[in-house]
Amino acid sequence: MHISEGVLSAPVLITGAALAAAGVAVGLKKMDSDKIPQVAVLSSAFFVASLIHVPIGPSSVHLILNGINGLLLGWLCFPSILVALTLQAILFQFGGITVLGVNTVNVALPGVICYYLFSRLVNRERGLISLGAAFACGFLSVFFSGILVALSLLFTEQSFMSVAKLIVVAHLPIMIIEGIITLFCMAFLHRVKPELLGGIYGKAT
Amino acid sequence: MEKRHNSTMYLLILFFASILIISTNLPALAHKVIIFAWIEGDTVFTESKFSDGKKAINSQVLVFDRDGKQLLEGKTNNKGEFSFKIPKLTDLRIVLNAAMGHKAEWKIPESEIRETMGASENKAAGGSSQSIGVGLSKEELKELIDESLDRKLRPIVRMMNESQSKGPSVTEIIGGIGYIFGLMGVAIYFKNRGKKA
Repeated sequence: MHISEGVLSAPVLITGAALAAAGVAVGLKKMDSDKIPQVAVLSSAFFVASLIHVPIGPSSVHLILNGINGLLLGWLCFPSILVALTLQAILFQFGGITVLGVNTVNVALPGVICYYLFSRLVNRERGLISLGAAFACGFLSVFFSGILVALSLLFTEQSFMSVAKLIVVAHLPIMIIEGIITLFCMAFLHRVKPELLGGIYGKAT
Repeated sequence: MEKRHNSTMYLLILFFASILIISTNLPALAHKVIIFAWIEGDTVFTESKFSDGKKAINSQVLVFDRDGKQLLEGKTNNKGEFSFKIPKLTDLRIVLNAAMGHKAEWKIPESEIRETMGASENKAAGGSSQSIGVGLSKEELKELIDESLDRKLRPIVRMMNESQSKGPSVTEIIGGIGYIFGLMGVAIYFKNRGKKA
């Protein structure tokens, strides 16, 4: 999901940076001091998750965890992911500094979308619906990310559909794995710390 | 207060447990694409792979000269390799275009090409030879040395290639996490200072 340096044209990079800045601004505004540790923990989780590589499929794909980030943080996942991506770019040379904005939007926006789609369902009484919603959240957040990557490559590659198809197919195993991870995480939090889910949900709406 | 403390603790425990699990099988990880090129005789060999060691197969390779003019293009085979004859004496910029926005490049400076090209030109000319010792001309001797050096150095070149593509080290990973928690401290500091003022 990390688009490399020098692939995208300037207008795409600037649009991405502007959108990312807006998202981060919203996130920072919503961030209370008691949420900061949670943002940091999820940011580190995302930072490390990109190193867990899944050797299935035609390309090289890794975990993303933007579903969990979005579900637990809402808009706060923008600053969380920006920080993690910056460090990945500096320390691992994943992506790059100029593409930071685009990459942040590609990963964080699906998280926010999934937060609005699923947080109500996930926060219900623990049961089939809430677990199903958790799975769908993990699955779809990666799917949306793939679509966004294809969109940002629209101006460099020839056809949107073929790139989108390629990315979605390559990430299919990841989608399923992320769905399962999100499901177990939510089930765990439901049992151990339900207020962690409810707290964010209650405050951010 | 107590409650909040607890929930953070749970997350921390979960998180460090996952780090432990991850760090046990570190080498085969990461996500970045790399192209590596070297010269043997008059041919440039390239090898492309993702930083987890998986070969970048069937990917486009473009070769540019110093002024950014495209000299040739090709596709990597199923071992991620692609080779071509040196098209002209200039700085070569070899760009790998793997799918999904992955891109990498490798530069070969003109001086490096001139050395190897020079050697083969001499071979073609074959001309005036200063004989030293037992019937071998200086040029022939140089050629022989070059050839055997190429052969002997190949494993070392490969090794460099391997070390190039190593994933992030544990130090970098732990360092990155340290940065994130440091930022957390700074953020909390400023939030709290704002409250008191």
